[in-house]
Amino acid sequence: MVGSLKQARVAFVEAPIGRLVNLLVILAVLYVIFILATKILAQGPSYFLQILTYGVANGAIYALVALGYTMVYGIIELINFAHGDLFTLGGFISLFLLPIFGADASKAGTAGIILPLIAVFLVTMLICGAINVSIERVAYRPLRRAPRLAPLITAVGMSFVLEGLMFLWKGPFNLPYPNLLPTTGIAIGGATIGLKDIFVIALAAILMVVLALFVSRSTLGKAMRATAQDQDATELMGIDINRTIAATFFIGAVLAGAGGTIFGLYYNTLVFDLGFSAGLFAFTAAVFGGIGNIQGAALGGLLIGLITAMWDGYMESTWTQVIIFAILILVLVFRPTGLLGMRVPEK
Amino acid sequence: MQRRWYTAGAIIAGLAMVATACTGGTGGGGGTTKGEIIVASDQPTSGGDASDGIPAQNGIQFAVEQAGSIKGFKLTFKGWDDTVNGNHDPQKGAQNIQEMIADAKILGMVGPNNSNVARAMIPIANRASFVMISAANTNECLTQTFPYCEADTGTTPAKLRPNGVNNYFRIAAADTFQGPAAADYAVDTLKATKVAVWSDNETFGKGVADKFSTELQKKGGTVVVRQDFDTKTTNDWKPFLTDAKNKGAQAIYAGATSGTKICIPRAQMKGILDVPYMVPDGGVNAQCIKDAAESAANMYGTVAAADANQNPDAKATIDAFKARFTKKEDVGSYTFPAYDCAKILIDAIGRAIDANGGNLPSREQVRKAVSETKNFKGTTGTYTFDPNGDPTSPTMAIFQTKGSPLDWVFVKQFGVGG
Amino acid sequence: MRRLGSRLGSILESDPRKNPNAVVFLLLALGAIAFPIGVQIVTRGSGSFLISQAADAGVYVLLAIGLNVVVGFAGLLDLGYAAFFAIGAYTYAFVASDHMEFTPIHQAIHIPFWIALLVGMFAAATAGAILGAPTLRLRGDYLAIVTLGFGEIVPRLFRNAATWTSGVNGISALDTPALPIWINGPWSGDAFAVVQNFKIIDPLAYYVIMAILVAISVVLVNNLRRSRMGRAWMAVREDEVAAAAMGVNTVGVKLLAFGIGAAFSGFAGTFYGAKLSLVSPENFGFTVSITILIMVVLGGMGNIPGVIVGALLIYYVIFNILPGLPQQAADFANSIGATGLNTPSGDWPGLSGEVQRLKFLIFGLILVLTMLLRPQGLLPSRQRAEELQKGVHEDTVIEDLNAETT
Repeated sequence: MVGSLKQARVAFVEAPIGRLVNLLVILAVLYVIFILATKILAQGPSYFLQILTYGVANGAIYALVALGYTMVYGIIELINFAHGDLFTLGGFISLFLLPIFGADASKAGTAGIILPLIAVFLVTMLICGAINVSIERVAYRPLRRAPRLAPLITAVGMSFVLEGLMFLWKGPFNLPYPNLLPTTGIAIGGATIGLKDIFVIALAAILMVVLALFVSRSTLGKAMRATAQDQDATELMGIDINRTIAATFFIGAVLAGAGGTIFGLYYNTLVFDLGFSAGLFAFTAAVFGGIGNIQGAALGGLLIGLITAMWDGYMESTWTQVIIFAILILVLVFRPTGLLGMRVPEK
Repeated sequence: MQRRWYTAGAIIAGLAMVATACTGGTGGGGGTTKGEIIVASDQPTSGGDASDGIPAQNGIQFAVEQAGSIKGFKLTFKGWDDTVNGNHDPQKGAQNIQEMIADAKILGMVGPNNSNVARAMIPIANRASFVMISAANTNECLTQTFPYCEADTGTTPAKLRPNGVNNYFRIAAADTFQGPAAADYAVDTLKATKVAVWSDNETFGKGVADKFSTELQKKGGTVVVRQDFDTKTTNDWKPFLTDAKNKGAQAIYAGATSGTKICIPRAQMKGILDVPYMVPDGGVNAQCIKDAAESAANMYGTVAAADANQNPDAKATIDAFKARFTKKEDVGSYTFPAYDCAKILIDAIGRAIDANGGNLPSREQVRKAVSETKNFKGTTGTYTFDPNGDPTSPTMAIFQTKGSPLDWVFVKQFGVGG
Repeated sequence: MRRLGSRLGSILESDPRKNPNAVVFLLLALGAIAFPIGVQIVTRGSGSFLISQAADAGVYVLLAIGLNVVVGFAGLLDLGYAAFFAIGAYTYAFVASDHMEFTPIHQAIHIPFWIALLVGMFAAATAGAILGAPTLRLRGDYLAIVTLGFGEIVPRLFRNAATWTSGVNGISALDTPALPIWINGPWSGDAFAVVQNFKIIDPLAYYVIMAILVAISVVLVNNLRRSRMGRAWMAVREDEVAAAAMGVNTVGVKLLAFGIGAAFSGFAGTFYGAKLSLVSPENFGFTVSITILIMVVLGGMGNIPGVIVGALLIYYVIFNILPGLPQQAADFANSIGATGLNTPSGDWPGLSGEVQRLKFLIFGLILVLTMLLRPQGLLPSRQRAEELQKGVHEDTVIEDLNAETT
C-alpha cells in the first residue's frame, strides 16, 4: 500500500508542476538565507556567536525529545502525541522533587548543588519512564492491531490526559523554576558562553551518545532494531515483542524527562501546555532528520534549535512558529524520509 | 412541495409567536421588592490575569452587596470569567456579553479588564444599548479617534459603536497618559535614556509600548531594541535580552499583562543584564512578582487609576472590604477603581428608575444616566465622563517592588489631562 | 424537494428496528422545533440565552458533520480542521464589515450574509484543495501531522499579517445577517415591519437560521454518503490498494472528501463570525480542532445522526455543565461539611478552582476511553463498527458495501 503511495508521490514531484514547486521552494529558502546572512553581517560576530550558543543549547533539548518520537515511530509506527507532554511532565516532576532532594536556591551555582541535581535527574527520568510504560500498556498495546486511526486518536487523547493532569496540579500559570545553575560564563569575542549553556549541551550530548551505544551494542538494542524491521519474524526468533516495545517507550520517556528538567533549569519557566508546541518542534526535528533514525533526530534537533534561535534573534520572533511548521509540511511533502533517510524500511 | 415548505415555515413562525406571547405577561409585581436587577461583571478570574481580575471582581461584588437594593429593586451580582486556557480571550468576552444581554434583569456591566476584550465586547453591547464601565481598560483607541488607530488596532471608536451612541465608559487614564508617564519616570527618575522595549502584540500591550517609545524619544532617549512576541508560545527572551545588553539598554519596558507572560523575561535577565524593569498596569500584581522569581526587585509599574489608600475618606470602605474579603490576594490595584465603577453604575440605575417613574428602567435609560454622571465621588477620585466616555480628570500612579517579602509599593500619583 | 418529501414519508413509515437512524433524525428534527418553544415556556420568557447557546451549538454540529466526511467517511485524520473554520470566519470578516477600509484596499466590502456563506465555503474549500493536493498522497499518520501543522500556521498567519487582519486584535463589528422578509417579525427582536433586509439581534433568529443550515447540510451529506462518491470513500478508507485496483481514483476521491469537509468548516465559520460579530486569531487553535474530533469520535465516526448527537452532547458538557460545576462542587463540599476542600492552600486552588480545570482531562479521557472501550462511538454506523472492532488488517468488510447502500 505504502509502496504505491510512494510511487504516487514520486510521480507528483517529478511532474512538471512538481518541479516548479520544488524550484520555488528552493528559491524561497535561498532568499531567506540571504536575508538572514545580511542581518548577521550587520549585527556583528559577537551577537552571532551568542545566538549560535542559544541555538545549540535549544537544539540539544529538542534533540532529546525528538529521540523519543523517532524511536517509538521506528518500532511501532505510532506518532506518540503524548511524548511532548511527557517532556513537560518531566519538568513538573523535577520541580516538585527539587526541594525534596535539598536542591534549593541557597545552593544555586555552588558545588553543593551537583549531588541533589543528579538525584533529581535520575528520579525524574525513572518516574517518566514508568509513566510512559504504563501509558503504552494501558492505552496503546490493546490497539496495536486496530486500524491506524485508533492508536493515533488515542495518542492525541493521552496527550490531553497528561496536560489535563498537569493543569489540575499547577493550573494555567507560568511556573517559576529555580535558577540553580551558575550564571557565570566564558567571554569569547564579546559573547558570553554561559556555564548554563555548556551544561545543557554537554548533558544532552552525553545522554545521546549513551543511547546510541545502547541501541547499537546491547542485546535489547538489537532486539529493538529487529522489532522495528519485522515484528513477526522477531517474535519467531523468540524475542519478547511486548518487552522490547515497553523498553523503547521507557527509554524515550527517560530522555524526555531529562529534557524537561534541563528545559526548566535553562529557561526557568514551565507551563502545563508547553509540551504541545515544544513537542511539535521536536517532532519536526525528528521528521527533518529522518523519522526512525536516531542520528537523524539529533541532527534535526540541532537544526531546528538553530533555526529557532536565528529567527528569534534576527527576524521577527512572531513568525518563528510559522517557519518551523512550514518546514514540517514541506519536508513531509517533498522528502518524507528526511535529511538522513529512514533507517526502518517501509512496510 | 414549495407550498408545503411555506406552510411549515408559517407553522413554526406561529408557534414561536405564541411562545413569545406566552412569556410577555410574566414578571413585574411580586413581594416586598419590585423585582431584581443584576449588576454583571466580566473579569479574567482564572489564569495569569486572575491576580488582577479577582481583586477587581471582589470590588464590584462588594459594591453590589453593600448597596443591597436600589429604589425597591433587589440588587444582585453575577460575575463572568473571560479567561480561556490561562489568558484573557476576546471571543470569550464576546460570548459573555451576549449571555448578559440575553438576561433581561441585567442592566449594565462593569469590566472588562483587558482592552482587546473590550474591543470585542463594545460593538455587541452597543447594538443592545447595554452600558459597560471599565476600571482598567487603557487603550486610547477604544474611546478617542487618532489617525494611527485604524492602522494599529484596525478600528476606530465610531466603528466600534454601530448604533452611533456611546455605551462604553471608563475611569482609567488612557495609554496616551500611561505610556508617557512610564517614559517620563524612566528618564527623569531612573535616569535611563536607552531602553529596550517589547510587547505582546495585543491591543493594549503594543499600544502602550508604542506610546512609551514615542515619549521616550521626545525626551531625548532612544529605543535601542524593539520587538513584539507571540507570548503564547514564546519561552525564550534571551536573544532579545542579549541584544538589549549589547546595545547598552539602561532599562527594559514590557508592554504586556500577566496573562501574556509580562514578568517571565524579568526572571531570564539574571546573568544577562541587571537594569530596572518597567511594566504597565497589566504587571502590577502578585503574579508578576511570582513570575519574576529571584529577580523581582527593581521593578517599576504604572497604574492608570488612583490608589484608594491615599484617600483618607476611603478608609472606612477599605476596612469594610477587608473585613468581607480577608485574604491578601483579594485586593489589588484595581479593586477600588472597579468598586467605584460599580457604584457609578448603581447610582445611574437609581436615577434611571426615578426617570422611569419608579419602574424598571430600560437599558437605554441606564446608559443615558451613566453618561450623565457628574462629579461622582468615589474612593479613587471624583468622576465625570466626557462625551467619549473617558474620565475628565484621570489619575496615574507609580508603584515599585520593595520590601520583604517583595510587594508593589506606592511611590506617587498625579492627575493627568483635564 | 419531492425526493425529500417522499423520504420524510418513508421515514415515518419505516420500521425503527431496520432504520434506527431515521428515528434519531426524526427526534432531532422534532427537538429542534420544540426546543425554542419549550425553553421559553419553561424559563418563562428569559430563555433567550439558552436559545443563543443552541445556535452556537449548531456551529459545532455543522463542524462535526463536515469533519465526519473527512474522518468518518474517507478515514483521513484531520487535526487542523479549525484552520478552515478560521478561513471561513475571516472571509466573512473581510467581505462583511468595514474592516477592508483599514487595509491597503481602503474600501469596505459588505456582501449580504447569504452570499457570504457561499463565499466563505468556497474560500475554505479552496484552501482545503490547495493543502490536500500535495499532501493527500501521504500515508495517514503523516497527513495527520501535516494538517496539524497547517492548523497551527493558519491562525498565526491571520495574527501576523496585521496589515490585512489587524493582527492579534482580530476584527470586530461584523455585519449581522440580514434576513429575507418572511422571517422578520416580532420574534426577530423588533416590531413587525415590512422591510426587506431587516437586521437582527435576537437569538431566536440565529437559531432558526442555524436549524435551516444544519437541515440542509444533513440532507446534502446523507445523499453524498449514499452516492457513488460515498461508496468510493468507504472503499478507500477500508483498503486503498484494493480501491485503486478497482479503478477508484484514490487521490481524487480523498481530495473531494477533504474539500467538502473544509467547505463545511468554512460554512460554519461564516455563521460563527456573523453571530459573534468578531473574529480573532485565538479562536481557532488546536483545542477547537480536537473538540470537533471528540464530537465525531464519541458520536460515532461515519454516522451522521451519531455525530450530531455527539456534537450536541459535548457542547452541552463543555458550555453548560462544566461552567456551573465548580460552584456546585464547592456547594456540595460545604453541604457535606468538607469545607476544608474549599480553602485554597499551596497548589490547591480550592475545590471549585480545581473542578474548573477539568476540561483538558475530560477531553483526553473521552478520546482514550472511546477508542479503547467503544471505538465505534455512541451511535455507530453498523459498518464502521465492524471495521473498528475487527480491524481492517485482518478482515475487510467490502461485502458489506452493498448491504449498507441499498
